[in-house]
Amino acid sequence: MSNIPLDKLQDWSKQGHRTVMGDSLVMLAAEKPEMVTVTADLTPTARLVDFQEKYPDRFFDVGIAEQNLIDFSAGLAVEGLIPYAVDMAAIVPMRPAEQMRMALGYMNLNAKVISIEAGVRFGPLGNTHYGMDDIAVTRAIPNFTVMSPSDPLSIYKTIFAIAEHDGPVYVRLTGGPGFPIMYPEDFDFQIGKAVEYKEGSQVALISTGSMLGPAAEAAGTLEAKGISTRVVDMHTIKPLDTDMLDKVFAENRLIVTVEEHNCIGGLGSAVAEYKAGVEGAPRQVMASLGDEFKKIGDYKFKLKQSGLTAEDIAALAEANL
Amino acid sequence: MGTNTVEYIQEKCAVMRRDVIEMGYVAGGRGAHFGPALSSIEIVASLFFKVMNHDPKDPRWPERDRFVQSKGHACLSYYSALIESGYIDKKYMSTFKQDESFLSGHPSRNIEHGIEISSGSLGNGFGVACGMAKAAKIKNENHKVYCLVGDGECNEGIIWEAAMNAAKNNLGNLVAILDRNGVQLAGKTSDIMDVDLAAMWKAAGWDVAVVEDGNDLNQMIEALEAMKNSTVEKPHMVIANTTKGKGISYMEGSLNWHARAMDEEQYKQAVSDLEAAE
Repeated sequence: MSNIPLDKLQDWSKQGHRTVMGDSLVMLAAEKPEMVTVTADLTPTARLVDFQEKYPDRFFDVGIAEQNLIDFSAGLAVEGLIPYAVDMAAIVPMRPAEQMRMALGYMNLNAKVISIEAGVRFGPLGNTHYGMDDIAVTRAIPNFTVMSPSDPLSIYKTIFAIAEHDGPVYVRLTGGPGFPIMYPEDFDFQIGKAVEYKEGSQVALISTGSMLGPAAEAAGTLEAKGISTRVVDMHTIKPLDTDMLDKVFAENRLIVTVEEHNCIGGLGSAVAEYKAGVEGAPRQVMASLGDEFKKIGDYKFKLKQSGLTAEDIAALAEANL
Repeated sequence: MGTNTVEYIQEKCAVMRRDVIEMGYVAGGRGAHFGPALSSIEIVASLFFKVMNHDPKDPRWPERDRFVQSKGHACLSYYSALIESGYIDKKYMSTFKQDESFLSGHPSRNIEHGIEISSGSLGNGFGVACGMAKAAKIKNENHKVYCLVGDGECNEGIIWEAAMNAAKNNLGNLVAILDRNGVQLAGKTSDIMDVDLAAMWKAAGWDVAVVEDGNDLNQMIEALEAMKNSTVEKPHMVIANTTKGKGISYMEGSLNWHARAMDEEQYKQAVSDLEAAE
């Protein structure tokens, strides 16, 4: 793992999460000989062409067959390889959920599943291509770690960190071309340890994935109005960083969870489940995609439609404080 | 294991059938999948006592051949082979399907006792086995992967996803055996999904052989040895025509004995049938 210079981060920010992932897998392969990449006919889309060219003997395309993407990867993991299975969040985990449960979760195999285009960035393609339920599906599988990094550097760090974690991991990637750099410099990144991105005593905005960008922007808006706002980057949704939540519960009056996911089963649910057992914990409201199949539109439209812009998040917090 | 005589393995098959009945009866009202366990006895015995290169004293031996029972509901044939070859002590037989037992109704990964992977969610054991065979090739290891699948199991989409990919990867180190007993949970396979399995496996790119009587040890061993020694760089499929519930008079070919609980009278009859055959 190396320090990533700012100009590289800027390029990654411009290209979007797929390129960050594709480049990071190539970089990881150089350091981790037992790591291999598996995909289901998504080589160019998932920016895996470089990996395929550099490591043809460590790259496998199972065809448009997502159940086998997981079972095949499981078989590789049984024999000690570390497969990174790459697909699209609209399809994986939902279609091979049972393979992920039976093969990866049940046997606690050291396999990684990465889904690109989680959330609604595929806007005009329609609801068939939105990854709205992947956290809910994977979170309910024992042994799985579930992650959603927020920006170029944290995606890179996630891809390296999970190689050192012995067990199944699901990573959802959000943030298309132009997604902001939230971490311009190296920072402490550990699986299961949330990042306190900004301190604040009244509102706590807890986001996951690239929603950190609008959450941080919303915090600026709230601060300008005199509302002290904490921002937490909950890049690991399972296991949840309950130490960080305990701190938030003790110090903040309102929690706003922010996620590009269904309001059921995602980050908001995870926080609420933990909060249910904590006496005197603050109120929580959720910014999410809701629980419906909405009309199509481009990415900006889709985020606005669900109240996931910085402006909407700030307004939600202010209205509930 | 390769030096065992057919007579020796025949005796093992008789003991394994008795083990299946004993364990299934112990399960009481929890029931057992008797039919598919009994149809697959000769297949599993051929592998464990003749064809496979393995060492029950060293279950983690890296060079061992791997066995995956994808039709995990037939676990009693698998467990009986593991018991009779020394991976599982006989004392555990009474724990089948009991509280806290590792002998669950479908295999749960337990390398120490010879269970390579968890299986029983149909189709997935086969998919994982294909990945295991590919891993052996990637790592330049010479062992083989044997995988038992069911005919009803071939209804599953994952079977064909994995079959195509195994052929694409020229997995000549993979030998699958299809227990063609003709009966699945809700009826005859010919009524539920009447397909030409040999033609389908060939079309998927596999090297296919058909065994006329998969409960005939000589035929079964001959077919498996041929596939084991084959230099054809395609995954191998042995379609073994078997009899559901083989060896128990009232179970043979029956639609009622895919899975059910056995009462005392049925148990006595089963024991009597097996004793008469010895």
